[in-house]
Amino acid sequence: MFDLYRRLSGALGRSSGNDNASGNEARTDGGVVSDRSVPEPGSESDPGPLARVGAAVDRRLGSDFLESSLFWLPPFLLIALFVYGAIIWNLLISLTDYRGFANAPDYGNLDFEMYTRALADPGFIDAAVNTLILLVAFTGATLAVGLLLAILIDRGIRFENAFRTIYLLPMSLSFVVTAQFWLWMYNFNNGIVNLLLGTVGIGPISFLGDQTIVLWAVIFALMWQFSGYAMVVYLAGLRAIPTEHYEAAQVDGASTLKMYWRVIIPQLKGATISAAVVLMVFGMKAFDFLYSLVGGYRPPNGADILATKMVREAYANLNWAYGAAIAIVLFGMALAVIGPYLVYEYRRNNL
Amino acid sequence: MSDAEIRRADATTRVARLRRTVQQTSPGEVVLYAVLVVMAGFYLVPIESGLVTSIKTNTAIIGTAPYAPPGANGVTLEKWGTAIDALLRGMGNSLLYAVPATVISAVLGSVTAYGLTMPTWKRAYKAPLIALIVAGIFIPYQAVLVPLTQFWSQWVGIAQHLSFVWALGVPDDYAGIVELVITHVAYGLPICTLLFRTYYKTMSTEMIESARLDGASLRRVYRRIVLPLSGPMFAVVLIYQFTQIWNDLLFTLVLVSTESSPAAPVVLILAGLGSSLEGQDFALRMAGAFFAALPTLAVYIFFGEEFAEGVSA
Amino acid sequence: MATLELDSVRKTFQDDSGEIVAVDDVSTAIDDGEFLVVVGPSGCGKSTMLRMVAGLESITSGTVSLNNRVINDVKSQDRDIAMVFQSYALYPHMSVRGNMSFGLEESTDLPDDQIAEMVSETAELLGISNLLERRPTDLSGGQQQRVALGRAIVRDPEVFLMDEPLSNLDAKLRAQMRTELQRLQEDLGVTTVYVTHDQTEAMTMGDRIAILNDGRLQQVATPLECYHEPANQFVAGFLGEPSMNFFDVRFERGVLVGDAFEYPLGPEVREALDGTTDLVLGIRPEDIELAETASNDHDFATTVDVVEPMGDENTVHLKFDEGVETMIATADGFTRISAGDDVVARIPAESIHVFDRETGEALRNRSLDSKTLSAALE
Repeated sequence: MFDLYRRLSGALGRSSGNDNASGNEARTDGGVVSDRSVPEPGSESDPGPLARVGAAVDRRLGSDFLESSLFWLPPFLLIALFVYGAIIWNLLISLTDYRGFANAPDYGNLDFEMYTRALADPGFIDAAVNTLILLVAFTGATLAVGLLLAILIDRGIRFENAFRTIYLLPMSLSFVVTAQFWLWMYNFNNGIVNLLLGTVGIGPISFLGDQTIVLWAVIFALMWQFSGYAMVVYLAGLRAIPTEHYEAAQVDGASTLKMYWRVIIPQLKGATISAAVVLMVFGMKAFDFLYSLVGGYRPPNGADILATKMVREAYANLNWAYGAAIAIVLFGMALAVIGPYLVYEYRRNNL
Repeated sequence: MSDAEIRRADATTRVARLRRTVQQTSPGEVVLYAVLVVMAGFYLVPIESGLVTSIKTNTAIIGTAPYAPPGANGVTLEKWGTAIDALLRGMGNSLLYAVPATVISAVLGSVTAYGLTMPTWKRAYKAPLIALIVAGIFIPYQAVLVPLTQFWSQWVGIAQHLSFVWALGVPDDYAGIVELVITHVAYGLPICTLLFRTYYKTMSTEMIESARLDGASLRRVYRRIVLPLSGPMFAVVLIYQFTQIWNDLLFTLVLVSTESSPAAPVVLILAGLGSSLEGQDFALRMAGAFFAALPTLAVYIFFGEEFAEGVSA
Repeated sequence: MATLELDSVRKTFQDDSGEIVAVDDVSTAIDDGEFLVVVGPSGCGKSTMLRMVAGLESITSGTVSLNNRVINDVKSQDRDIAMVFQSYALYPHMSVRGNMSFGLEESTDLPDDQIAEMVSETAELLGISNLLERRPTDLSGGQQQRVALGRAIVRDPEVFLMDEPLSNLDAKLRAQMRTELQRLQEDLGVTTVYVTHDQTEAMTMGDRIAILNDGRLQQVATPLECYHEPANQFVAGFLGEPSMNFFDVRFERGVLVGDAFEYPLGPEVREALDGTTDLVLGIRPEDIELAETASNDHDFATTVDVVEPMGDENTVHLKFDEGVETMIATADGFTRISAGDDVVARIPAESIHVFDRETGEALRNRSLDSKTLSAALE
């Protein structure tokens, strides 16, 4: 080791003269790096079969595969067990007749009875239709409001942070909490919504009691909670668009409305896709909200969705297998949304 | 401020300057601000109405408009008292699982993301793993509920394993808390991993390679380079994850099941609070809602930026 | 001490459209203490080659050996190789001292005080002792560059790898660091592979240069050999600024027939062609002599198209009076010459290069008599 420092000090005191020979000599006089853990050539022992297999695996999968598996493999197995293992198990349970207080399902007799039963159950059909309506309407409305807010906020306003904070505030609240607020908002006698409608001569309306309206009332409340989220996503998308695009459109004489419609909004495709996927997932989780509205498993008539029906069948009626079957249908719906999304992300090299 | 924020701020000022020059007209701005304020009202009214209602007496609730303050003799803190009495133990229970679950899932998420981002192995093998993890974020939890119940109640039996704890006088309902921690970690891991991965992808690969060449193993690179630089993302993930776990009702419902349980989390108690045979006590419900929301509201108010970053990632 | 050897090294990437060959069958040996500069246009595979030596990129086939030991499967961290990156890749959360100690802490069992001493000495050598407690973000580009260098030097590795380490510096600092780096390498005597796209760095710094194009090694030789005796047309065109003039010609009746001119060849050159008829004639701009009147059959009438005054010399774009071909000549900075002038361009027989048009291989390089060589080496 010390010869390095001899060389270093040689370099330090180096004049313009030619003394590069000393450097080379010091290098070749041997006995260097003896305190280093680097094995001397030849002194290295045979790496052993295990190490050779490891090297072969690394060559096949990439140089750090084995060493890095320590980091991702255990958590990945946890996820695999709880997410994918559970889904497969759930599929299995849905093929049994498991119900009641029995401790475990009987896996000896598998059939699709629960699925045929679902198709014959008008409650299931209603819930499925309601789920679709909720997903589409909620996602569409939330995206629209979010986009509008994002555009307004992006117009270089003052107090931008304050407005943004307010719009996103409901998102930080629990479904259980927001359900309490909207229960009060929709109150027949004293609710603000009916009070407002009263000033224009409508109502009062029993929002949560009327089967034809209740689903839309729920969608509106969910929109209230999540449009701030859509705004944040759109805002990030808008900020990524170079100012030149606005300027070019202005120079071309496009009106503000036209500029957004023709130039800006088409560039928000990526933001729309990712926000839509997340919102649909939130929509499927609306169980918490509906449960809290009534404080029980049965949501208001006309607002039953697959998520609530599944939990009710399994945990209130103890129809475990039937609940599992409904869950599989719900999972299929989610997959129809996430599958294409993941392919899209993979194509864009985001995975 | 992170780079992204600076760029964002920079973009804001550019757009702002442009706006100012393009339209000096003030009527347009008046409309703009009017719309912004109305929208702010739209988001705040349900919350404001809840807040004033929570301090109203029963007569004031009927006597005053739902958004109006109660007036001098309509104020009472009685409902808050009742709500706190009912929810306080739930608060403690919620903290008991939300805090450990948040910390564990953030740490594991960071480790997983590191293993799937920094080390070099083939994308063709990495991408499917990441796809499976990302898909885990979007799974409707209903699809795993029945097996989850089976798993905890029939297979694992945490209640039996922890019998020495119950012997100390802790009610065995708290087995549910342990189950909740593990469950939330498992289902929170995908989003935590994704958030960290997004962050790690922006880290300089040359810096990591440099550390490798400096003789550091993957473990040392994580410990000495990546972890110390992960601070900002830890803030984002911890805040996001805490909010999610605190707010979740579904898992508490199926794992703890009854609000009368000594281990019942706050959301579970709140969901049933204020409804009785005589009708709904809205003041009590509102007070309870606010009290239960306090931790997440505090987090949101103090760390709003990180929260926004977490949800938009 | 440390010899580095690449044997038939190949690297391919899998792409949607198929297989992309980044490095193709590269074999070369770098001697102990040698400074090898790898140069080539961007995308030629030079960085990939360096990264394979570093272990940051897997080797598709072939072997990389260090001191006659194959290190294909040895991980980066166990190779005892230090690398300086273009971006410097400093650890932002550590002080300069922390940055420089890191490698010793990770790769050796040295006690802390010894590491501290080594760091101080290296810092002194590089003139950054006063920066040791600062963070990288507080440093200028040049200072960061020195820290990156110090981080590599302090480890006293078997091999230094440098990936365009100077390209983020401004021109003046770059010239200064070029000399300094060269001197350091000479003093430390550590085997060094230096990748650059800058031919000035290639010509001035290396003991030898390796020129890479499309993943293939074109030539490995001393800078002057590569310049005066290029192995092929690519090397000839790549080195030199302005680059060598090329003319597509055919060999007919002892004469090179081009679009705009005919160039008679001497017997020695004719022999070297060995029957090849489709050729490329090359001449370096500085070898073209400008004259008033034509005096022999190597003189050609041209018109000045553009003059770019560089101060010390003029770059003159010439157009043959016949045909459409153009060439570039460099003339003394004091020559009075302007666009539109008629000049005679003399292409001296001893300065021409002739290449096989199909393979690009050099069939004949300029003759280097002792006078020219010593003049060039001066």
